Amino acid sequence: MNLKISALEFVQQVQNGNISAEDFVAKTLERIQSIDDKLHAFLFVNEKAIDQARDIDKKIKSGSKVGACFGMPISIKDNMCIKDSKTTCASKMLENFVAPYDATVITKLKEQDAVFVGKVNLDEFAMGLTTEFSAFGSSKNPWNTEYVPGGSSGGSAVSVSAFECVASLGSDTGGSVRNPASFCSVVGYKPTYGLISRYGLISYSNSIEQIGPLTRTVKDTAFMLNIISGLDPNDNTTIDNKNEDYLSGIDSGIEGKKIGIIQEMVGEGTDPTVLSATKDAISKLENLGATCEDVSLDMVKYSVAAYYTITATEAGSNLARYDNLRYGYDFSVEGYEFNSYIAKARRNFGPEVKRRMIIGGFVPSAGHAGKYFLKAIKVKSKLTREINEAFKKFDLLIAPTVPILPFKIGEKINDPVSLFLIDINTVTANLTGKPSISVPFTISNGLPIGIQLLADSMNDKLLLQAAYALEQTITLQEVPI
Amino acid sequence: MVTEEQIEHVSKLMKIDIDDHKEYVDKVQAMIDYFDVLDSADVESEEISMQEITISNLREDKYVPFNEKLIDKLNNYKGTYVRAPKMS
Amino acid sequence: MTKIGLEIHCQLTNLKSKLFCSCKANYREFEINENICPICMGLPGSLPRLNQEAVKKATMIAMALNCTTPDKIAFFRKNYFYPDLPKNFQITQLNIYGETSIGGTGSIIVGDKKIRITRIQLEEDPGRLIYEGSSSKNLITLVDYNRAGTPLVEIVTEPDFENPKQVRDFVNILSDLLENLEVSDPGLDGAMRSDANVSIEGGNKVEIKNIGSFHDLEKAVHFEITRQESLNSRDIQIIQETRHWDDKRKITVSSRSKEEDLDYRYFLEGDIPWIIIDPKTKENLKSNMPESISSKKERYVSKYNIPTQVATVLSSDKFYSDLFEESHTEVTAKEIANIITTDLMGLIDTREKRKESKITATHLKDLADSIQSGKISRNSAKNALYEIVKTGKNLSKVMSELDLGNVSDESELLGIIKAVIFEELKAVEEAKSNPQTINYLVGKVMQKTKGKADPKLTLDLLKKQLK
Repeated sequence: MNLKISALEFVQQVQNGNISAEDFVAKTLERIQSIDDKLHAFLFVNEKAIDQARDIDKKIKSGSKVGACFGMPISIKDNMCIKDSKTTCASKMLENFVAPYDATVITKLKEQDAVFVGKVNLDEFAMGLTTEFSAFGSSKNPWNTEYVPGGSSGGSAVSVSAFECVASLGSDTGGSVRNPASFCSVVGYKPTYGLISRYGLISYSNSIEQIGPLTRTVKDTAFMLNIISGLDPNDNTTIDNKNEDYLSGIDSGIEGKKIGIIQEMVGEGTDPTVLSATKDAISKLENLGATCEDVSLDMVKYSVAAYYTITATEAGSNLARYDNLRYGYDFSVEGYEFNSYIAKARRNFGPEVKRRMIIGGFVPSAGHAGKYFLKAIKVKSKLTREINEAFKKFDLLIAPTVPILPFKIGEKINDPVSLFLIDINTVTANLTGKPSISVPFTISNGLPIGIQLLADSMNDKLLLQAAYALEQTITLQEVPI
Repeated sequence: MVTEEQIEHVSKLMKIDIDDHKEYVDKVQAMIDYFDVLDSADVESEEISMQEITISNLREDKYVPFNEKLIDKLNNYKGTYVRAPKMS
Repeated sequence: MTKIGLEIHCQLTNLKSKLFCSCKANYREFEINENICPICMGLPGSLPRLNQEAVKKATMIAMALNCTTPDKIAFFRKNYFYPDLPKNFQITQLNIYGETSIGGTGSIIVGDKKIRITRIQLEEDPGRLIYEGSSSKNLITLVDYNRAGTPLVEIVTEPDFENPKQVRDFVNILSDLLENLEVSDPGLDGAMRSDANVSIEGGNKVEIKNIGSFHDLEKAVHFEITRQESLNSRDIQIIQETRHWDDKRKITVSSRSKEEDLDYRYFLEGDIPWIIIDPKTKENLKSNMPESISSKKERYVSKYNIPTQVATVLSSDKFYSDLFEESHTEVTAKEIANIITTDLMGLIDTREKRKESKITATHLKDLADSIQSGKISRNSAKNALYEIVKTGKNLSKVMSELDLGNVSDESELLGIIKAVIFEELKAVEEAKSNPQTINYLVGKVMQKTKGKADPKLTLDLLKKQLK
């Protein structure tokens, strides 16, 4: 059985009766068993997946209504709640936390008969770019297992890239879906802020993060978006997309579209191979009828500092609830006084999370807020104005997803600031709420490079059309695993 | 330039214990010092924009009990209370 | 020059659900930790869902206190660690980016003083801490989260109070106002709490927290003023600090916690967009607001000629003013107001008695009609009232069962009058020259009839007899 098919192909094959969901899921679990030791994408595997798939096959046979997913195996980043399943955020602080409710995206996928094959690895509490900060060990890039898969949704990207599932849901705060998608050569999508409900997504930086799908094709992403997007009364920040169909007309092409090349993201600091791939992508887009021109977003040079200031502040607050009193891991309060218990309990946070907590306590504090936090949110506002101006002239914006090629595990982990700067091309979309996608473009010396496109708020449909057009010009190598 | 004392003060505020003092402090210092770049951003007059919704979009005032006994699924003391450490 | 300011917290107990989730707003009937859900427990991944009615009711409170109301409101996080705070931050309101709290500056008259309101904010209540065990060594701290997330309106005043009495009067007026608006039942345990700040002679301001009831508020303020005056008289500087009210020892004690470390790191709550409160909504709220106490009082005085004292008492008590509104007519208004304030209030003087009382507007209506038509004397009416409150039986039944009706049968009355005349020959003689003595004779008739004689008829008949 061929596991190397897209989600839409899977659906077609099951509908045609060529394959059964049970067989496919069983094969998928076998694959996970045989290769995940090397890749460590999965934190938990769902032992009941095959049974669940079998039930869906029964539904199909009996002719009753079946959901759009037809039993497709999907992996979920372990910072989203699935009822009665462990949800750890790859942290020892939540080692024993079992979620008592489903995230909205999970409810929606369940309604469409998806099968969750397991929870996948991430940087602890989604704070990181390489998945090396997971408390349960790093994941490996399937293109070269000595290299990082990117992060924080590393497990998602690896599991999709290595055919351990058909699609995955990750979360993107500063590039955490797009970055690993680029490093692992899969499609990674961050929607317009508010398009997908965050109810059940364990918050890191709630004013800018979004759940996003990782898939093998652009059409698959549109398919996932159709299922999981939409207004949710459980999340006051969701917006009404009026049940937009992202698949229909996805092949409309980009004739006549104007695309801006973000100057601050193709300049100094960009690896020459990445730069040349970007130029290649631009000429491909021009051959499809688009016009590409330079555009400048001046605030990009402050965007990383602003991003880390804002996210650390929000994280410092969002993670304050982890005091181990109501849930967490085994550590009794017996004999402890309040302050010492809490400080001791929170030692179970990993070193990067701890660093971000301290930064998050510092930058909004009285006496420092003016210099850091307030400045950062003003940079966010100005960057948003700049990009809105750009979208008056351009339909889309383009840049490499990551300015550098994937690097070796352990290479950057001790240099936090150089790690920060890997985000420089991706945080703009988060700070401004604009939708953005990473399309796998080429492989250079065995390492993947992805190209990033951005569109204006609520123009997700146009963005997918452009991404699809670009994707159709590429034939990618197959992953060597 | 953020000082070691300031970092220690904040870690108490955030209830985070710092081990491996020097290495830790160095990294945090480096991270915060990087943010100095914000000083040169010309944004003083910038207004803060926010998402808005109308009052009619808000949740209706209705009592709907949670569909399970939640306390059974959390840390509990004799099945009822949550126990906290001694308050000073 | 003593200056006292207040921060009053009022639960919106009349709402059906909590501020950010659908658990019940009034938590008092539940077993421990039975009124909780992922949202009010701050479970990972949970998000707040703002209660529409809470925003409306809080806006109404702001309007009733003559406060400005902004076009858009925002919520902020106040970050600190405490076991009763499930998220270790409280979602509350602030005015750091312009006026974004539910109510801005306003004022309210207390006696002859104008008390200025600084602002009004909407926020969530934390859970409750309970201590188990006896000695302080093995004390176990337990938390009940049933109250966590209950909607609170915080009313902050300028330090305009000059003495504890003004504080007490204000708190009474505020309680009545909130009850009248139908947003809260201030009598419920814990529904209204207050912190205070006190300074004297332009000195440092001292904050007092942990005051459990309004009863203690007056005491705490009084104690603090005395404490400060004592320090002042010995030329000892008053430190600016936060003290907490020790309920057992009835004193304020310096809070030894490292308050200087408290930095709330306020920032906008990213899970709740700014809420637009449009002019039409405000108009609707204003026009649907229950009539204010002062407006009722004025109406009682000017329209029904009810004495000011009576009108004040009647209008400020919702339970009774509701009864009054329902039962009165133009003609009986004054009488009913009188019955309520003179007799009924004394009869039903506690919360429990109000709950158990069986009196209705119909009863009052009947009673007033009967008094005015002479069917029952005011004295007997008191007895009837007692029975009605207890049993709820209608007036005619009570009157016949207890034989309370006035003696208005002429022949029966004449017989009694003749008997009195026979017994009181001396007075009868006097009455011929001194008309005032006739009242004495009327009194004798009333005595004989146990107060049930129709006084007017008695007087007429007596006069005729004496001619």
